[in-house]
Amino acid sequence: MRAFAALLRKEVFSLFVSPYIYLLLGTWFLLNGLFFSFILGYPAVEQDLTLFPQFLFGSGLLVWLLLPAFPPLLTLKLFAEEQRTGTLEPLLSAPIRDIAIVAAKYCAAWLFFFVFWIGVLLLFLLLEFHQAPLDWARVGGGFLGAISASSLFLATGLWASSWGGNLILAAGGGACINFLLLFLPVLFENSPGRVGALAKSLHIPNMLDRAFAVGLFDSYALLFFPIMTLLFLWLTWVRLVSRRWVP
Amino acid sequence: MIRAEKLTKKYGPIQALSEVSFQVSPGEILGFLGPNGAGKSTAIKILCSYLPPTSGHAQIDGMDILDHSLQARKSVGYLPENFQAPPELRVSEYLEFRSCLKGATRKEARRNAGYWLERLDLADRVQQPIASLSKGLKQRVGLADALLADPKALLLDEPFGGLDPLQRDDFRTLLKELARKGKAILFSSHVLPEVENLADRVHVLHQGVTQADGSLAELSRKHQANASVLLRVVSQADDLLRQLKQEQSPVHACAIHQKGNTLTIQTPSFEARKKLLPFLAECKIELEMFHLLQPTLEDLFRNLVQPKVNQ
Repeated sequence: MRAFAALLRKEVFSLFVSPYIYLLLGTWFLLNGLFFSFILGYPAVEQDLTLFPQFLFGSGLLVWLLLPAFPPLLTLKLFAEEQRTGTLEPLLSAPIRDIAIVAAKYCAAWLFFFVFWIGVLLLFLLLEFHQAPLDWARVGGGFLGAISASSLFLATGLWASSWGGNLILAAGGGACINFLLLFLPVLFENSPGRVGALAKSLHIPNMLDRAFAVGLFDSYALLFFPIMTLLFLWLTWVRLVSRRWVP
Repeated sequence: MIRAEKLTKKYGPIQALSEVSFQVSPGEILGFLGPNGAGKSTAIKILCSYLPPTSGHAQIDGMDILDHSLQARKSVGYLPENFQAPPELRVSEYLEFRSCLKGATRKEARRNAGYWLERLDLADRVQQPIASLSKGLKQRVGLADALLADPKALLLDEPFGGLDPLQRDDFRTLLKELARKGKAILFSSHVLPEVENLADRVHVLHQGVTQADGSLAELSRKHQANASVLLRVVSQADDLLRQLKQEQSPVHACAIHQKGNTLTIQTPSFEARKKLLPFLAECKIELEMFHLLQPTLEDLFRNLVQPKVNQ
Protein backbone atom coordinates (compact mmCIF):
# COMPACT_ATOMS: atom_id res chain seq x y z
CA MET A 1 0.00 0.00 0.00
CA ARG A 2 2.91 2.34 0.83
CA ALA A 3 4.44 1.64 -2.54
CA PHE A 4 1.09 2.27 -4.26
CA ALA A 5 0.63 5.57 -2.43
CA ALA A 6 4.21 6.63 -3.20
CA LEU A 7 3.82 5.85 -6.89
CA LEU A 8 0.41 7.57 -7.04
CA ARG A 9 1.86 10.73 -5.46
CA LYS A 10 4.78 10.70 -7.86
CA GLU A 11 2.59 10.13 -10.93
CA VAL A 12 0.14 12.89 -9.98
CA PHE A 13 3.07 15.25 -9.33
CA SER A 14 4.72 14.33 -12.64
CA LEU A 15 1.48 15.01 -14.51
CA PHE A 16 0.87 18.32 -12.75
CA VAL A 17 4.33 19.69 -13.53
CA SER A 18 4.38 18.61 -17.17
CA PRO A 19 4.02 21.52 -19.65
CA TYR A 20 2.69 19.05 -22.23
CA ILE A 21 -0.25 18.22 -19.97
CA TYR A 22 -1.11 21.91 -19.61
CA LEU A 23 -1.08 22.25 -23.39
CA LEU A 24 -3.48 19.32 -23.51
CA LEU A 25 -5.65 20.84 -20.81
CA GLY A 26 -5.72 24.21 -22.59
CA THR A 27 -6.75 22.58 -25.87
CA TRP A 28 -9.45 20.60 -24.07
CA PHE A 29 -10.89 23.72 -22.44
CA LEU A 30 -10.75 25.67 -25.67
CA LEU A 31 -12.49 22.97 -27.74
CA ASN A 32 -15.07 22.34 -25.03
CA GLY A 33 -15.79 26.06 -24.83
CA LEU A 34 -16.29 26.14 -28.59
CA PHE A 35 -18.59 23.10 -28.58
CA PHE A 36 -20.44 24.58 -25.62
CA SER A 37 -21.17 27.88 -27.34
CA PHE A 38 -21.88 26.06 -30.62
CA ILE A 39 -24.49 23.79 -28.99
CA LEU A 40 -26.03 26.74 -27.14
CA GLY A 41 -26.75 28.18 -30.59
CA TYR A 42 -28.78 25.14 -31.72
CA PRO A 43 -32.43 26.19 -32.32
CA ALA A 44 -33.72 23.24 -30.25
CA VAL A 45 -31.48 24.17 -27.33
CA GLU A 46 -32.39 27.86 -27.62
CA GLN A 47 -36.04 26.86 -27.24
CA ASP A 48 -35.50 24.34 -24.43
CA LEU A 49 -32.24 24.62 -22.49
CA THR A 50 -32.96 21.42 -20.54
CA LEU A 51 -32.00 19.56 -23.75
CA PHE A 52 -28.50 21.05 -23.61
CA PRO A 53 -26.80 18.23 -21.60
CA GLN A 54 -28.16 15.66 -24.04
CA PHE A 55 -26.63 17.48 -27.01
CA LEU A 56 -23.32 17.99 -25.22
CA PHE A 57 -22.85 14.61 -23.55
CA GLY A 58 -25.01 12.44 -25.76
CA SER A 59 -24.35 12.97 -29.42
CA GLY A 60 -22.02 15.92 -29.81
CA LEU A 61 -18.43 16.21 -30.91
CA LEU A 62 -17.40 15.83 -27.28
CA VAL A 63 -18.40 12.18 -27.43
CA TRP A 64 -17.32 11.45 -30.97
CA LEU A 65 -14.04 13.33 -31.01
CA LEU A 66 -12.65 14.62 -27.71
CA LEU A 67 -13.62 11.76 -25.42
CA PRO A 68 -11.85 9.02 -27.42
CA ALA A 69 -8.88 11.17 -28.48
CA PHE A 70 -7.76 12.92 -25.28
CA PRO A 71 -7.29 10.10 -22.73
CA PRO A 72 -4.58 8.29 -24.76
CA LEU A 73 -2.73 11.62 -25.12
CA LEU A 74 -2.62 11.73 -21.34
CA THR A 75 -1.81 8.07 -20.67
CA LEU A 76 1.04 7.90 -23.18
CA LYS A 77 3.22 9.45 -20.48
CA LEU A 78 2.56 6.67 -18.01
CA PHE A 79 4.29 3.66 -19.53
CA ALA A 80 5.48 4.52 -23.06
CA GLU A 81 7.27 7.71 -21.99
CA GLU A 82 8.83 5.89 -19.02
CA GLN A 83 10.08 3.11 -21.26
CA ARG A 84 11.42 5.62 -23.81
CA THR A 85 13.34 7.57 -21.19
CA GLY A 86 14.59 4.46 -19.36
CA THR A 87 12.85 5.10 -16.03
CA LEU A 88 10.64 2.02 -16.33
CA GLU A 89 13.55 -0.33 -15.57
CA PRO A 90 14.19 0.98 -12.02
CA LEU A 91 10.43 0.97 -11.41
CA LEU A 92 9.88 -2.63 -12.50
CA SER A 93 12.90 -3.87 -10.55
CA ALA A 94 11.62 -2.22 -7.35
CA PRO A 95 9.72 -4.36 -4.82
CA ILE A 96 6.24 -3.24 -5.87
CA ARG A 97 3.49 -5.49 -7.21
CA ASP A 98 2.64 -5.09 -10.89
CA ILE A 99 -1.03 -4.64 -10.01
CA ALA A 100 -0.07 -1.72 -7.74
CA ILE A 101 1.89 -0.11 -10.60
CA VAL A 102 -1.10 -0.37 -12.95
CA ALA A 103 -3.52 0.86 -10.27
CA ALA A 104 -1.35 3.82 -9.23
CA LYS A 105 -0.78 4.97 -12.79
CA TYR A 106 -4.44 4.58 -13.68
CA CYS A 107 -5.62 6.43 -10.57
CA ALA A 108 -3.20 9.29 -11.31
CA ALA A 109 -4.50 9.58 -14.87
CA TRP A 110 -8.10 9.38 -13.64
CA LEU A 111 -7.57 12.10 -11.02
CA PHE A 112 -5.97 14.33 -13.60
CA PHE A 113 -8.73 13.72 -16.14
CA PHE A 114 -11.21 14.67 -13.47
CA VAL A 115 -9.62 18.13 -13.59
CA PHE A 116 -10.47 18.19 -17.29
CA TRP A 117 -14.14 17.65 -16.41
CA ILE A 118 -14.11 20.27 -13.68
CA GLY A 119 -13.42 22.79 -16.46
CA VAL A 120 -16.59 21.67 -18.25
CA LEU A 121 -18.54 21.81 -14.97
CA LEU A 122 -17.46 25.43 -14.58
CA LEU A 123 -19.15 26.22 -17.89
CA PHE A 124 -22.42 24.81 -16.52
CA LEU A 125 -21.99 26.82 -13.33
CA LEU A 126 -21.55 29.89 -15.51
CA LEU A 127 -24.90 29.15 -17.17
CA GLU A 128 -26.46 28.67 -13.74
CA PHE A 129 -24.99 32.00 -12.69
CA HIS A 130 -26.81 33.58 -15.62
CA GLN A 131 -29.98 31.93 -14.36
CA ALA A 132 -30.34 29.53 -17.27
CA PRO A 133 -33.06 26.92 -16.63
CA LEU A 134 -30.85 23.82 -16.43
CA ASP A 135 -32.06 20.34 -15.60
CA TRP A 136 -29.41 19.30 -13.09
CA ALA A 137 -30.50 15.66 -13.13
CA ARG A 138 -29.62 15.54 -16.81
CA VAL A 139 -26.41 17.50 -16.23
CA GLY A 140 -25.40 15.09 -13.45
CA GLY A 141 -26.31 12.06 -15.58
CA GLY A 142 -24.37 13.50 -18.51
CA PHE A 143 -21.32 14.02 -16.33
CA LEU A 144 -21.60 10.53 -14.89
CA GLY A 145 -21.75 9.08 -18.41
CA ALA A 146 -18.85 11.20 -19.61
CA ILE A 147 -16.72 10.28 -16.60
CA SER A 148 -17.62 6.59 -17.00
CA ALA A 149 -16.68 6.68 -20.67
CA SER A 150 -13.45 8.56 -19.97
CA SER A 151 -12.59 5.97 -17.29
CA LEU A 152 -12.87 3.29 -19.96
CA PHE A 153 -10.90 5.31 -22.52
CA LEU A 154 -8.15 6.01 -19.97
CA ALA A 155 -7.88 2.26 -19.37
CA THR A 156 -7.56 1.54 -23.09
CA GLY A 157 -4.98 4.35 -23.31
CA LEU A 158 -3.02 2.86 -20.43
CA TRP A 159 -3.04 -0.53 -22.14
CA ALA A 160 -1.78 1.01 -25.40
CA SER A 161 0.88 2.88 -23.43
CA SER A 162 2.17 -0.42 -22.03
CA TRP A 163 2.89 -1.81 -25.50
CA GLY A 164 6.33 -0.21 -25.75
CA GLY A 165 8.36 2.97 -25.85
CA ASN A 166 6.80 4.43 -29.00
CA LEU A 167 4.72 7.48 -28.05
CA ILE A 168 2.93 7.66 -31.40
CA LEU A 169 1.93 4.01 -31.11
CA ALA A 170 0.78 4.58 -27.54
CA ALA A 171 -1.40 7.60 -28.40
CA GLY A 172 -2.49 6.37 -31.83
CA GLY A 173 -3.15 2.83 -30.65
CA GLY A 174 -5.21 4.01 -27.70
CA ALA A 175 -7.22 6.44 -29.84
CA CYS A 176 -7.82 3.72 -32.47
CA ILE A 177 -9.21 1.31 -29.86
CA ASN A 178 -11.46 4.05 -28.50
CA PHE A 179 -12.78 5.02 -31.93
CA LEU A 180 -13.37 1.34 -32.72
CA LEU A 181 -15.27 0.92 -29.45
CA LEU A 182 -17.45 3.87 -30.49
CA PHE A 183 -17.90 3.22 -34.19
CA LEU A 184 -17.99 -0.57 -34.59
CA PRO A 185 -21.28 -1.00 -32.70
CA VAL A 186 -22.79 1.83 -34.79
CA LEU A 187 -21.67 0.09 -37.99
CA PHE A 188 -23.01 -3.31 -36.99
CA GLU A 189 -26.10 -2.42 -34.94
CA ASN A 190 -28.43 -3.22 -37.83
CA SER A 191 -26.72 -6.51 -38.71
CA PRO A 192 -28.90 -9.58 -38.37
CA GLY A 193 -28.47 -12.17 -35.65
CA ARG A 194 -25.87 -12.22 -32.90
CA VAL A 195 -23.60 -9.62 -34.48
CA GLY A 196 -26.34 -7.04 -34.36
CA ALA A 197 -27.32 -8.02 -30.81
CA LEU A 198 -23.69 -7.80 -29.69
CA ALA A 199 -23.28 -4.42 -31.39
CA LYS A 200 -26.36 -3.12 -29.57
CA SER A 201 -25.10 -4.36 -26.23
CA LEU A 202 -21.75 -2.59 -26.76
CA HIS A 203 -23.29 0.61 -28.15
CA ILE A 204 -21.52 3.33 -26.12
CA PRO A 205 -23.13 6.34 -27.90
CA ASN A 206 -26.59 4.88 -27.19
CA MET A 207 -25.73 4.43 -23.51
CA LEU A 208 -24.51 8.00 -23.27
CA ASP A 209 -27.29 9.54 -25.34
CA ARG A 210 -30.33 7.54 -24.22
CA ALA A 211 -29.43 6.76 -20.63
CA PHE A 212 -26.90 9.02 -18.93
CA ALA A 213 -27.54 12.27 -20.84
CA VAL A 214 -31.30 12.15 -20.22
CA GLY A 215 -30.76 11.55 -16.51
CA LEU A 216 -31.79 7.89 -16.68
CA PHE A 217 -29.75 5.52 -14.55
CA ASP A 218 -29.65 2.34 -16.59
CA SER A 219 -28.08 -0.46 -14.54
CA TYR A 220 -26.64 -2.12 -17.66
CA ALA A 221 -24.88 1.10 -18.67
CA LEU A 222 -23.77 1.68 -15.09
CA LEU A 223 -22.11 -1.75 -15.00
CA PHE A 224 -20.85 -1.79 -18.59
CA PHE A 225 -18.22 0.91 -18.17
CA PRO A 226 -16.61 -0.36 -14.93
CA ILE A 227 -16.46 -3.92 -16.31
CA MET A 228 -14.89 -2.79 -19.59
CA THR A 229 -12.51 -0.54 -17.65
CA LEU A 230 -11.41 -3.47 -15.48
CA LEU A 231 -10.96 -5.61 -18.60
CA PHE A 232 -8.48 -3.14 -20.11
CA LEU A 233 -6.71 -2.62 -16.79
CA TRP A 234 -6.36 -6.40 -16.57
CA LEU A 235 -4.89 -6.43 -20.10
CA THR A 236 -2.39 -3.77 -19.00
CA TRP A 237 -1.45 -5.88 -15.99
CA VAL A 238 -1.06 -8.95 -18.23
CA ARG A 239 1.22 -6.95 -20.51
CA LEU A 240 3.32 -5.88 -17.54
CA VAL A 241 3.65 -9.29 -15.92
CA SER A 242 4.33 -10.93 -19.28
CA ARG A 243 7.55 -8.88 -19.49
CA ARG A 244 8.64 -10.48 -16.25
CA TRP A 245 7.41 -14.03 -16.85
CA VAL A 246 7.30 -14.81 -20.55
CA PRO A 247 10.80 -15.81 -21.70
CA MET B 1 23.40 -14.86 -1.51
CA ILE B 2 23.29 -14.40 -5.30
CA ARG B 3 23.11 -17.69 -7.14
CA ALA B 4 22.61 -18.29 -10.85
CA GLU B 5 22.27 -21.76 -12.28
CA LYS B 6 22.45 -22.41 -16.00
CA LEU B 7 20.89 -19.06 -16.89
CA THR B 8 20.00 -18.95 -20.56
CA LYS B 9 18.44 -16.07 -22.44
CA LYS B 10 17.44 -15.96 -26.08
CA TYR B 11 16.20 -12.89 -27.93
CA GLY B 12 14.59 -14.61 -30.92
CA PRO B 13 17.44 -16.36 -32.71
CA ILE B 14 20.11 -14.50 -30.71
CA GLN B 15 21.56 -16.37 -27.77
CA ALA B 16 22.42 -13.67 -25.23
CA LEU B 17 23.29 -16.07 -22.39
CA SER B 18 24.08 -19.73 -22.53
CA GLU B 19 23.88 -21.80 -19.33
CA VAL B 20 25.73 -19.26 -17.20
CA SER B 21 26.23 -20.28 -13.56
CA PHE B 22 27.88 -18.36 -10.76
CA GLN B 23 27.34 -17.35 -7.19
CA VAL B 24 28.26 -14.46 -4.95
CA SER B 25 28.56 -15.10 -1.22
CA PRO B 26 27.83 -12.53 1.50
CA GLY B 27 30.78 -10.17 1.81
CA GLU B 28 32.09 -11.04 -1.62
CA ILE B 29 32.55 -8.76 -4.63
CA LEU B 30 32.21 -10.45 -8.02
CA GLY B 31 33.35 -8.56 -11.12
CA PHE B 32 31.50 -9.35 -14.30
CA LEU B 33 33.82 -8.97 -17.25
CA GLY B 34 33.24 -9.23 -20.96
CA PRO B 35 33.29 -7.23 -24.18
CA ASN B 36 30.19 -5.41 -25.42
CA GLY B 37 27.33 -7.80 -26.09
CA ALA B 38 28.82 -10.49 -23.84
CA GLY B 39 25.58 -10.81 -21.89
CA LYS B 40 26.61 -9.06 -18.66
CA SER B 41 23.70 -6.61 -18.58
CA THR B 42 21.24 -9.33 -19.59
CA ALA B 43 22.36 -11.50 -16.67
CA ILE B 44 22.02 -8.57 -14.25
CA LYS B 45 18.57 -7.64 -15.61
CA ILE B 46 17.46 -11.25 -15.08
CA LEU B 47 18.76 -11.22 -11.51
CA CYS B 48 16.79 -8.08 -10.65
CA SER B 49 13.63 -9.61 -12.16
CA TYR B 50 13.40 -7.10 -14.99
CA LEU B 51 13.83 -9.79 -17.65
CA PRO B 52 12.80 -13.43 -17.44
CA PRO B 53 15.36 -16.12 -18.32
CA THR B 54 14.57 -18.48 -21.19
CA SER B 55 15.72 -21.28 -18.92
CA GLY B 56 17.72 -21.73 -15.76
CA HIS B 57 17.22 -20.50 -12.22
CA ALA B 58 18.48 -17.71 -10.04
CA GLN B 59 18.10 -16.96 -6.36
CA ILE B 60 18.66 -13.86 -4.29
CA ASP B 61 18.98 -14.46 -0.57
CA GLY B 62 17.48 -17.91 -1.07
CA MET B 63 14.43 -16.56 -2.94
CA ASP B 64 13.84 -17.75 -6.47
CA ILE B 65 13.58 -14.74 -8.77
CA LEU B 66 10.59 -16.24 -10.60
CA ASP B 67 8.69 -17.97 -7.81
CA HIS B 68 9.28 -15.26 -5.18
CA SER B 69 10.04 -12.28 -7.38
CA LEU B 70 8.75 -9.63 -4.97
CA GLN B 71 10.74 -10.99 -1.99
CA ALA B 72 13.84 -11.38 -4.18
CA ARG B 73 13.50 -7.76 -5.34
CA LYS B 74 13.27 -6.62 -1.71
CA SER B 75 16.77 -8.01 -1.12
CA VAL B 76 18.30 -6.34 -4.16
CA GLY B 77 19.70 -2.90 -4.81
CA TYR B 78 20.04 -2.38 -8.54
CA LEU B 79 21.91 0.28 -10.46
CA PRO B 80 21.16 -0.01 -14.20
CA GLU B 81 23.65 0.94 -16.87
CA ASN B 82 22.86 4.53 -17.94
CA PHE B 83 20.72 5.13 -14.88
CA GLN B 84 17.74 7.39 -15.58
CA ALA B 85 15.33 9.04 -13.15
CA PRO B 86 12.23 11.19 -13.72
CA PRO B 87 13.74 14.53 -14.76
CA GLU B 88 10.97 16.60 -13.16
CA LEU B 89 11.79 15.42 -9.63
CA ARG B 90 14.40 16.97 -7.36
CA VAL B 91 17.14 14.71 -6.01
CA SER B 92 15.65 14.45 -2.51
CA GLU B 93 12.11 13.96 -3.87
CA TYR B 94 13.31 11.14 -6.06
CA LEU B 95 15.15 9.32 -3.29
CA GLU B 96 12.25 9.73 -0.86
CA PHE B 97 9.88 8.39 -3.52
CA ARG B 98 12.15 5.39 -4.16
CA SER B 99 12.52 4.72 -0.45
CA CYS B 100 8.71 4.69 -0.02
CA LEU B 101 8.47 2.42 -3.05
CA LYS B 102 10.75 0.00 -1.21
CA GLY B 103 8.45 -0.03 1.81
CA ALA B 104 9.66 2.83 4.01
CA THR B 105 7.27 5.27 5.72
CA ARG B 106 7.62 8.91 4.63
CA LYS B 107 9.57 9.69 7.80
CA GLU B 108 11.92 6.76 7.25
CA ALA B 109 12.22 7.69 3.59
CA ARG B 110 13.36 11.22 4.49
CA ARG B 111 15.90 9.80 6.92
CA ASN B 112 17.20 7.17 4.45
CA ALA B 113 17.45 9.70 1.63
CA GLY B 114 19.22 12.18 3.90
CA TYR B 115 21.75 9.59 5.04
CA TRP B 116 22.73 8.49 1.54
CA LEU B 117 22.73 12.02 0.18
CA GLU B 118 25.26 12.89 2.87
CA ARG B 119 27.22 9.65 2.46
CA LEU B 120 27.53 10.04 -1.31
CA ASP B 121 28.42 13.71 -1.13
CA LEU B 122 25.14 14.85 -2.68
CA ALA B 123 23.93 16.96 0.25
CA ASP B 124 24.41 20.21 -1.69
CA ARG B 125 22.35 18.85 -4.61
CA VAL B 126 19.21 18.03 -2.63
CA GLN B 127 17.07 20.70 -4.29
CA GLN B 128 18.51 20.27 -7.75
CA PRO B 129 16.18 18.81 -10.42
CA ILE B 130 17.49 15.51 -11.75
CA ALA B 131 17.27 16.86 -15.31
CA SER B 132 20.05 19.33 -14.50
CA LEU B 133 22.52 16.78 -13.06
CA SER B 134 25.70 15.70 -14.83
CA LYS B 135 26.14 12.02 -15.73
CA GLY B 136 28.42 11.42 -12.77
CA LEU B 137 26.02 13.04 -10.30
CA LYS B 138 23.12 11.12 -11.79
CA GLN B 139 25.14 7.94 -11.36
CA ARG B 140 25.63 8.78 -7.68
CA VAL B 141 21.89 9.35 -7.28
CA GLY B 142 21.37 5.94 -8.87
CA LEU B 143 23.81 4.41 -6.43
CA ALA B 144 22.04 6.08 -3.51
CA ASP B 145 18.79 4.64 -4.87
CA ALA B 146 20.31 1.15 -4.99
CA LEU B 147 21.48 1.45 -1.38
CA LEU B 148 18.33 3.02 0.10
CA ALA B 149 16.64 -0.05 1.54
CA ASP B 150 19.87 -1.53 2.91
CA PRO B 151 19.71 -4.47 0.46
CA LYS B 152 21.56 -7.73 1.07
CA ALA B 153 22.69 -7.95 -2.54
CA LEU B 154 23.85 -5.21 -4.88
CA LEU B 155 23.66 -5.52 -8.66
CA LEU B 156 25.61 -2.74 -10.33
CA ASP B 157 25.73 -2.52 -14.10
CA GLU B 158 28.76 -0.48 -15.22
CA PRO B 159 28.74 1.59 -12.02
CA PHE B 160 31.92 3.51 -12.81
CA GLY B 161 30.54 5.10 -15.98
CA GLY B 162 30.64 8.88 -15.78
CA LEU B 163 32.51 9.03 -12.47
CA ASP B 164 35.72 11.05 -12.20
CA PRO B 165 38.84 9.44 -10.63
CA LEU B 166 38.13 10.88 -7.16
CA GLN B 167 34.55 9.70 -7.26
CA ARG B 168 35.78 6.27 -8.36
CA ASP B 169 38.09 6.10 -5.35
CA ASP B 170 35.22 7.02 -3.02
CA PHE B 171 32.95 4.57 -4.71
CA ARG B 172 35.51 1.76 -4.49
CA THR B 173 36.03 2.45 -0.79
CA LEU B 174 32.27 2.44 -0.23
CA LEU B 175 31.78 -0.86 -2.03
CA LYS B 176 34.60 -2.49 -0.04
CA GLU B 177 33.02 -1.18 3.16
CA LEU B 178 29.62 -2.58 2.14
CA ALA B 179 31.21 -5.95 1.34
CA ARG B 180 32.84 -5.96 4.78
CA LYS B 181 29.35 -5.46 6.24
CA GLY B 182 28.30 -8.69 4.52
CA LYS B 183 26.65 -7.49 1.32
CA ALA B 184 27.02 -9.61 -1.79
CA ILE B 185 28.08 -7.34 -4.64
CA LEU B 186 27.98 -8.13 -8.32
CA PHE B 187 29.21 -5.45 -10.69
CA SER B 188 30.00 -5.34 -14.37
CA SER B 189 32.67 -3.12 -15.79
CA HIS B 190 34.77 -2.50 -18.86
CA VAL B 191 37.39 -0.77 -16.73
CA LEU B 192 39.78 -3.65 -16.08
CA PRO B 193 41.92 -1.91 -13.44
CA GLU B 194 38.72 -1.20 -11.48
CA VAL B 195 37.81 -4.87 -11.54
CA GLU B 196 41.37 -5.82 -10.63
CA ASN B 197 41.34 -3.42 -7.68
CA LEU B 198 37.90 -4.20 -6.39
CA ALA B 199 36.74 -7.72 -7.20
CA ASP B 200 37.44 -10.74 -5.02
CA ARG B 201 36.53 -12.91 -7.97
CA VAL B 202 35.88 -12.33 -11.64
CA HIS B 203 33.44 -14.00 -13.99
CA VAL B 204 34.41 -13.59 -17.63
CA LEU B 205 31.63 -13.79 -20.20
CA HIS B 206 31.98 -13.78 -23.96
CA GLN B 207 29.10 -14.15 -26.41
CA GLY B 208 26.90 -15.29 -23.54
CA VAL B 209 29.22 -18.12 -22.52
CA THR B 210 31.28 -18.31 -19.33
CA GLN B 211 34.98 -18.20 -20.17
CA ALA B 212 36.40 -18.21 -16.66
CA ASP B 213 35.37 -17.83 -13.04
CA GLY B 214 37.65 -17.49 -10.06
CA SER B 215 39.85 -15.22 -8.07
CA LEU B 216 42.55 -13.31 -9.92
CA ALA B 217 45.21 -15.59 -8.43
CA GLU B 218 43.35 -18.69 -9.58
CA LEU B 219 42.84 -17.32 -13.05
CA SER B 220 46.49 -16.27 -13.25
CA ARG B 221 47.54 -19.84 -12.45
CA LYS B 222 45.05 -21.34 -14.89
CA HIS B 223 45.57 -18.97 -17.75
CA GLN B 224 49.20 -17.87 -17.47
CA ALA B 225 50.13 -19.54 -20.72
CA ASN B 226 51.30 -16.31 -22.26
CA ALA B 227 53.10 -14.96 -19.21
CA SER B 228 56.36 -13.19 -19.95
CA VAL B 229 59.86 -13.36 -18.50
CA LEU B 230 61.99 -10.26 -18.12
CA LEU B 231 65.74 -10.89 -17.98
CA ARG B 232 68.91 -8.82 -18.16
CA VAL B 233 72.14 -10.47 -19.22
CA VAL B 234 75.68 -9.29 -18.47
CA SER B 235 76.64 -9.63 -22.12
CA GLN B 236 75.90 -11.76 -25.22
CA ALA B 237 72.32 -10.47 -25.49
CA ASP B 238 72.46 -10.68 -29.30
CA ASP B 239 73.76 -14.27 -29.16
CA LEU B 240 71.01 -15.25 -26.77
CA LEU B 241 68.40 -13.62 -28.98
CA ARG B 242 69.69 -15.56 -31.98
CA GLN B 243 69.66 -18.86 -30.10
CA LEU B 244 66.19 -18.27 -28.71
CA LYS B 245 64.87 -17.60 -32.21
CA GLN B 246 66.26 -20.89 -33.54
CA GLU B 247 63.62 -23.49 -34.29
CA GLN B 248 65.25 -26.15 -32.10
CA SER B 249 65.18 -23.82 -29.07
CA PRO B 250 63.27 -25.65 -26.29
CA VAL B 251 61.68 -22.40 -25.12
CA HIS B 252 59.54 -21.81 -28.26
CA ALA B 253 59.19 -18.10 -27.47
CA CYS B 254 56.09 -16.45 -28.94
CA ALA B 255 57.63 -13.00 -28.95
CA ILE B 256 60.95 -11.51 -27.87
CA HIS B 257 61.66 -7.82 -27.34
CA GLN B 258 65.24 -6.66 -26.88
CA LYS B 259 66.36 -3.35 -25.45
CA GLY B 260 70.14 -3.37 -24.89
CA ASN B 261 70.91 -6.24 -22.57
CA THR B 262 67.32 -6.57 -21.43
CA LEU B 263 65.04 -9.11 -23.06
CA THR B 264 61.33 -9.67 -22.58
CA ILE B 265 60.42 -13.19 -23.63
CA GLN B 266 56.83 -14.27 -24.04
CA THR B 267 56.47 -18.04 -23.70
CA PRO B 268 53.58 -20.12 -25.01
CA SER B 269 53.25 -22.37 -21.94
CA PHE B 270 54.34 -22.96 -18.39
CA GLU B 271 56.35 -26.00 -19.59
CA ALA B 272 58.26 -23.88 -22.10
CA ARG B 273 59.03 -21.32 -19.40
CA LYS B 274 60.41 -24.04 -17.11
CA LYS B 275 62.96 -24.91 -19.79
CA LEU B 276 64.28 -21.35 -20.01
CA LEU B 277 66.65 -21.40 -17.03
CA PRO B 278 68.35 -24.73 -17.99
CA PHE B 279 68.63 -23.39 -21.53
CA LEU B 280 70.34 -20.21 -20.30
CA ALA B 281 72.73 -22.33 -18.21
CA GLU B 282 73.47 -24.54 -21.20
CA CYS B 283 74.26 -21.46 -23.27
CA LYS B 284 76.49 -20.20 -20.42
CA ILE B 285 74.62 -16.91 -20.22
CA GLU B 286 75.41 -14.79 -17.16
CA LEU B 287 72.24 -13.27 -15.74
CA GLU B 288 71.92 -9.97 -13.94
CA MET B 289 68.18 -10.21 -13.45
CA PHE B 290 65.45 -12.79 -14.00
CA HIS B 291 61.86 -11.73 -13.36
CA LEU B 292 58.67 -13.60 -14.06
CA LEU B 293 55.97 -11.12 -15.11
CA GLN B 294 52.59 -12.13 -13.71
CA PRO B 295 49.81 -11.65 -16.24
CA THR B 296 47.52 -8.73 -15.50
CA LEU B 297 43.74 -9.01 -15.70
CA GLU B 298 44.04 -7.30 -19.05
CA ASP B 299 46.38 -10.08 -20.29
CA LEU B 300 43.98 -12.71 -18.99
CA PHE B 301 41.03 -10.94 -20.55
CA ARG B 302 42.83 -10.78 -23.89
CA ASN B 303 43.76 -14.48 -23.66
CA LEU B 304 40.20 -15.47 -22.92
CA VAL B 305 38.35 -13.22 -25.29
CA GLN B 306 40.62 -12.11 -28.11
CA PRO B 307 41.19 -15.46 -29.85
CA LYS B 308 37.43 -15.86 -30.13
CA VAL B 309 37.01 -12.30 -31.38
CA ASN B 310 39.64 -13.00 -34.05
CA GLN B 311 37.95 -16.27 -35.02
